[in-house]
Amino acid sequence: MELTLQIVVSGLAAGGVYGLVAIGHSLVFRLTGTVYLALGDLIGLGVFTTLLVAAGTGPITQTNVSTGRYAIALAVGVLVCVVAGAGGYLLVVQPFLERRSTLGWVGATLALAFAIHAVIESVFPRSAYVLPDPIPFQRIGEGGYVTVGGASFAVRALYVAAVAFALAGLVAWAIDRTRMGRGLQAIAADPEGALVVGVPLSRLVPLAFGLGGAVAALAAVTAAPSAPVSAETGTLLGVKGLAAALAVRFGPPLYAFAAGALLGLAEAAIANVHFGGFELGPSYSQVIPLALVLVLLAARPAAEALEEVE
Amino acid sequence: MSAIATTAGALREAARDAKRSWTPAAWSAVAGVGLAALVPFVLPGSVRLDGLAETGYLALAAVGLGFAVGIGGMPSIAQGAFVGVGAVCAAHLAGSGWPGPLAALVGAAAAALAGVAVGTAVVRFRPVYVAAATWITTWLVALGLDAFPSVSGGSRGLVVPPQWSTTVHYELALALVALAMLAHRMLSRSSFGFALEASAQRPAAAAALGADAARLRLRAFAGAAAVGGLAGGLAVQLLGVADPSSYGPWLSFQLLVAVFVGGGATALGPTVGVFVLGGLSLVADLFGRLTGSETARFGPMLAALLLLAVLTLGGDGLVPAVARRLRWRGARPEVVAAVTPMGGGSLAARRLGKRFGGLVALDALELDVRPGHVVALIGPNGSGKTTALRLLAGNLQPDAGEVRLDEVDLTAESTSQRVRRGLVRTIQSNAIFPHLTALENAIVGASLRRRYGGALRTLLATPNARHEARATRARALHALRVTGLDHRADDPAGSLTGAEQRLLMVASALATAPRVLLLDEPSAGAAPQDLDRLIGVVQGLTEEGLAVVIVEHNLRLVRSLAEEVVVLDAGKRLAAGRPTDIAANPAVRAAYFGRPR
Repeated sequence: MELTLQIVVSGLAAGGVYGLVAIGHSLVFRLTGTVYLALGDLIGLGVFTTLLVAAGTGPITQTNVSTGRYAIALAVGVLVCVVAGAGGYLLVVQPFLERRSTLGWVGATLALAFAIHAVIESVFPRSAYVLPDPIPFQRIGEGGYVTVGGASFAVRALYVAAVAFALAGLVAWAIDRTRMGRGLQAIAADPEGALVVGVPLSRLVPLAFGLGGAVAALAAVTAAPSAPVSAETGTLLGVKGLAAALAVRFGPPLYAFAAGALLGLAEAAIANVHFGGFELGPSYSQVIPLALVLVLLAARPAAEALEEVE
Repeated sequence: MSAIATTAGALREAARDAKRSWTPAAWSAVAGVGLAALVPFVLPGSVRLDGLAETGYLALAAVGLGFAVGIGGMPSIAQGAFVGVGAVCAAHLAGSGWPGPLAALVGAAAAALAGVAVGTAVVRFRPVYVAAATWITTWLVALGLDAFPSVSGGSRGLVVPPQWSTTVHYELALALVALAMLAHRMLSRSSFGFALEASAQRPAAAAALGADAARLRLRAFAGAAAVGGLAGGLAVQLLGVADPSSYGPWLSFQLLVAVFVGGGATALGPTVGVFVLGGLSLVADLFGRLTGSETARFGPMLAALLLLAVLTLGGDGLVPAVARRLRWRGARPEVVAAVTPMGGGSLAARRLGKRFGGLVALDALELDVRPGHVVALIGPNGSGKTTALRLLAGNLQPDAGEVRLDEVDLTAESTSQRVRRGLVRTIQSNAIFPHLTALENAIVGASLRRRYGGALRTLLATPNARHEARATRARALHALRVTGLDHRADDPAGSLTGAEQRLLMVASALATAPRVLLLDEPSAGAAPQDLDRLIGVVQGLTEEGLAVVIVEHNLRLVRSLAEEVVVLDAGKRLAAGRPTDIAANPAVRAAYFGRPR
């Protein structure tokens, strides 16, 4: 019982970030019918840009960064993410969409992913880095842990989960209520129709590619100080987010977010829960949820499977 | 004695076949493999044989992937994972004393099983889903190997005692790559390959001809995985260790790059791609040494840039680009033309109905077509004509009523079952397969009735399979001749005129040897002279006894062909009768031109 709260909080913290990545994947799919395989590495780019501006490339600990510098670093990281995401769309997705070449965009987005990964690794060659934490969670409670009714949890995880859920709410609101969001909905429903009624397609789609990555990167930067990061951190986030988005078949943003949150919860549960003598442990937490997504895909009737408009 | 005579006869025939299809390209391939086989003996010490053998195994995995990507149209990013499954499995077995070849074969079988598992999830879906799911698969295997050191040997990997010398590995890799390329070529030129490629290019059109896309793709996907697993299982025995960290996304990416760079649709392409990548990593090493930085970073960067360059230039790889310049024409095997017409059938619809939500698309349709007759379905847009054809062909399930062919109830049968029974439909758009030649288009239709045309029989070139392949080809050529397209047989279908493409659709449908033909607006966009040609073709078919249902807007075509016209309006049968009577019917005039006030 004491464990449950901790699992829920840490699961939601990880799952919230997955969920935001899943929103990005789902948005991209609904707008263009593609999968942005570079999304995870773009998020990694955002995280490491923030680290670069905040603390440079040296081995660092969590302290010694002023709030002002951290804010600037975060802004630069998010901006780089927007620019790189939008630029990536214009460079490696749009040309192949115009040519209707699926193999083209798959190859090109994958190439972009590996290129970004290689750049990050060459600037940050160590196997792990620690991001500075602007908020001193260590000083809250007992070394960052708070006990409620016999159950303890990390305040930092609660904070990350709260930020992720807030961002998801913000994205859902923006898509539903803002002019840009409605434009995106129109494009997703019928690109040609949207163009005819004056939705600025050529501006909105790249922007969505950029913002989708940036929002997820914001969450990833918030979560990053909890654990060491490497170039693979972003890639993995991209994969987990994709798995969540795939599980709901690239459904509406909030569905995708919920799937991501569930994925995080499942991982935390598999890693920690034991029933009597039976327990799975952290090794399984990496494998089972992803395998489950594939099973889910196989079990579904392929309504839209190979259908083609006649 | 007679068995020996039969075998000898079959072998003589096989030799004749082989001789007929022998080309300069085949000579070059044999010469190339022969020269490569001599390398260890002619240039001892001057080449790193182990590196070459390793590259060979990598090429083997790439050729397998090339077939799935280039012919099957499935952008799989999981080939590295399948290599890993084969490698780890073979390493365990070889490490506990199994003989090397057996261990590698079991590894291949394990990879094939994994391929079937993942394939089952993805083959029914559009390529987007294949890319997403195979990317997840790659990470699943990588994370799994990382998380379970008991399976993967952890950071030290699994040690495999060497059983063969490097030279043996080199020659084995060479032989297997050559065999894999041969298999790639045989399959991609077979009716299996044509149907697979057709399903990738135009799923709906291929399905209308009775191709079972999911089945074909699953075979291609699992086959590619098996070849990858075999490559992995042999490579670990060469390297002496299965290093779990080397079977990650990077390997999958490299293999995909090799396929794209060389050209997966050709047999030679993936191998060329692997060697280009190998050269690139040498360049990266050199570059790294010159700048004094770590070399490992440049490899991925250069590979990514190379792939982007190839894709942006719009090529489908180096080999197809070069092959187009050289243009080796394959020798045409002689065709034994022996086509027996199947005769016509009687099609009947009884109270056939379909609703989409509240909309009644078709309401209790009654329709009868006899052998040698043409019935035309006409009506304004949205009156249910195409819905009726889709219900008849089995692309849609009706809510009510039944479809009968020669008094057999087909209502519960799938499209491909109906095509087998002799009921086939052309679809409205120009649903041809642009990258296949006209003859190959027709072969997709003709191969439906093949019994010995599976991937395995094609590869083994059994006498039955070869005999049947000839007959299939003959039937396809006959269909082209009937539609007047035989002079375009070897041209890519995409280069045909619009009218010819529509006739080609009819030809592909005819190649399935139908008894009832359903034509959906065959004249759409046709010029007057094309119309005469089309009318001539359909008249020729009815003279042979075929029954035809035709959905048409062009009233000249309807008048010259149809004995009976059925007019639909808002899903209901408004009138039926001879074309001249229909033209004078006031209700029909009202439906088309509006009611007089």
